[in-house]
Amino acid sequence: MDAELAEVRALQAEIAALRRAWEDPPAPWEEKSRVQKSFQAIHQFNLEGWKSSKDLKNQLGHLESELSFLSTLTGINIRNHSKQTEDLTSTEMTEKSIRKVLQRHRLSGNCHMVTFQLEFQILEIQNKERLSSAVTDLNIIMEPTECSELSEFVSRAEERKDLFMFFRSLHFFVEWFEYRKRTFKHFKEKYPDAVYLSEGPSSCSMGIRSASRPGFELVIVWRIQIDEDGKVFPKLDLLTKVPQRALELDKNRAIETAPLSFRTLVGLFGIEAALESLIKSLCAEENN
Amino acid sequence: MAGILAPGLGVLAHLERLETQVSRSRKQSEELQSVQAQEGALGTKIHKLRRLRDELRAAVRHRRASVKACIANVEPNQTVEINEQEALEEKLGNVKAILQAYHFTGLSGKLTSRGVCVCINTAFEGNLLDSYFVDLVIQKPLRIHHHSVPVFIPLEEIAAKYLQTNIQHFLFSLCEYLNAYSGRKYQADRLQSDFAALLTGPLQRNPLCNLLSFTYKLDPGGQSFPFCARLLYKDLTATLPTDVTVTCQGVEALSTSWEEQRASHETLFCTKPLHQVFASFARKGEKLDMSLVS
Repeated sequence: MDAELAEVRALQAEIAALRRAWEDPPAPWEEKSRVQKSFQAIHQFNLEGWKSSKDLKNQLGHLESELSFLSTLTGINIRNHSKQTEDLTSTEMTEKSIRKVLQRHRLSGNCHMVTFQLEFQILEIQNKERLSSAVTDLNIIMEPTECSELSEFVSRAEERKDLFMFFRSLHFFVEWFEYRKRTFKHFKEKYPDAVYLSEGPSSCSMGIRSASRPGFELVIVWRIQIDEDGKVFPKLDLLTKVPQRALELDKNRAIETAPLSFRTLVGLFGIEAALESLIKSLCAEENN
Repeated sequence: MAGILAPGLGVLAHLERLETQVSRSRKQSEELQSVQAQEGALGTKIHKLRRLRDELRAAVRHRRASVKACIANVEPNQTVEINEQEALEEKLGNVKAILQAYHFTGLSGKLTSRGVCVCINTAFEGNLLDSYFVDLVIQKPLRIHHHSVPVFIPLEEIAAKYLQTNIQHFLFSLCEYLNAYSGRKYQADRLQSDFAALLTGPLQRNPLCNLLSFTYKLDPGGQSFPFCARLLYKDLTATLPTDVTVTCQGVEALSTSWEEQRASHETLFCTKPLHQVFASFARKGEKLDMSLVS
């Protein structure tokens, strides 16, 4: 009977232990298995990850709005940027407390229909007095390449290593370009018979002719120029094509002075109003 | 008669003896019964305890196994989440790099709780110079919370013209002024630091760096008369002067060669950045020295 009693006591102890085990399951990471390792990772993730994944998403959202704001403000949409840094400090320089670092940047993006790819280097020299940073090499690739006005400007920017001027002028050039295209399209739609765009709305010229006045043609040439300092401005010219007979009849030399008058007109009323009045004057009878 | 009594005693004793026997055995059997009963109860108890223990063992084992299974099931999802996290981090890195790139356009900025803080970077001929910031509060009307624009830049004027109607125009205009100021300052600083040898007196300059006055000699230590230059930059958005006067000190009437030099200097100052003009003076000076040696 003692043996049995002993067994009873043993069983009771075991049951008590099992009951405890049931109430507090062992911490998974106390189990020695691969489960432990992965769970540890998950546990870590839970500690930092859960909190910061929400943070990460928020952060990303915030930065993406910043990007969108900057893109709208500058007119430039940068899609990619990578950078490499090379320390060029020699031991001689370190002795004199001079530090020389070369950064290589590669940047690409677009400004409306113009895409660009830039590769440039920035040399930073830090001595005791100051830190100087200079662009030491600039290469610009632009598409489309047909805009001759742009290619000249690009070589100038490369020569001067003037990044800021490049971006600023590019933005204004494209704004003018888009405005010109919209204006030409607008007139083509409004006066489909009178206005013709032989090279399409993206070209720099718009022609006006009248069915009732064959032989007369007005061509407006609208160029977008970028000067030495990177300032962008439009330059409009009027070309006239007139039958010989009309020239003879033109006592007031209106045709001769037309180009100059046109420039004055543009100066006074702006481009759109000037173009409109030209079209109307040639096609007056049709409009009546 | 003794025989008749005697056996009666004997019978009583015998009966007594029997009674004791019976009660003893009754006791024994009762004891035995109780022991048996006890043993039976114990046995049942043990039996029950054994059963309970086995059930608990199984339950705990089962739970452990299911936890394992749970972890095993949960693992692939968590790896997906970890991958998501890595993808997010990569995207974040890309976006941060692109934001950094905007510094090279001259204009960059950060969104703030009030609105936006725009950073204007300046440069001159590829040299990256100071940056300035303007902290804007997006309200009606739009206003400048604070800024680091120097006091001599006409910020209020530019803001009055453009801030309410066209933020872009406001910022671009401010950019122009700040870049031009930075460029003029850079030229004056370079003149002072790199070509001090050619200056015969201190460089006089105003904070806006649009009025400079200095005297210089082409051959320092030589016998020639010093030139006196006054550069005025009326256009605050330009880095080249609009008005330049170069005079020659101490000489009333200049000989033709001096007059030619003076005039050419005036033209140089109008068309080339200040420090570059002096760099060419220094080069000419070297050439002169070389000719003397040979």
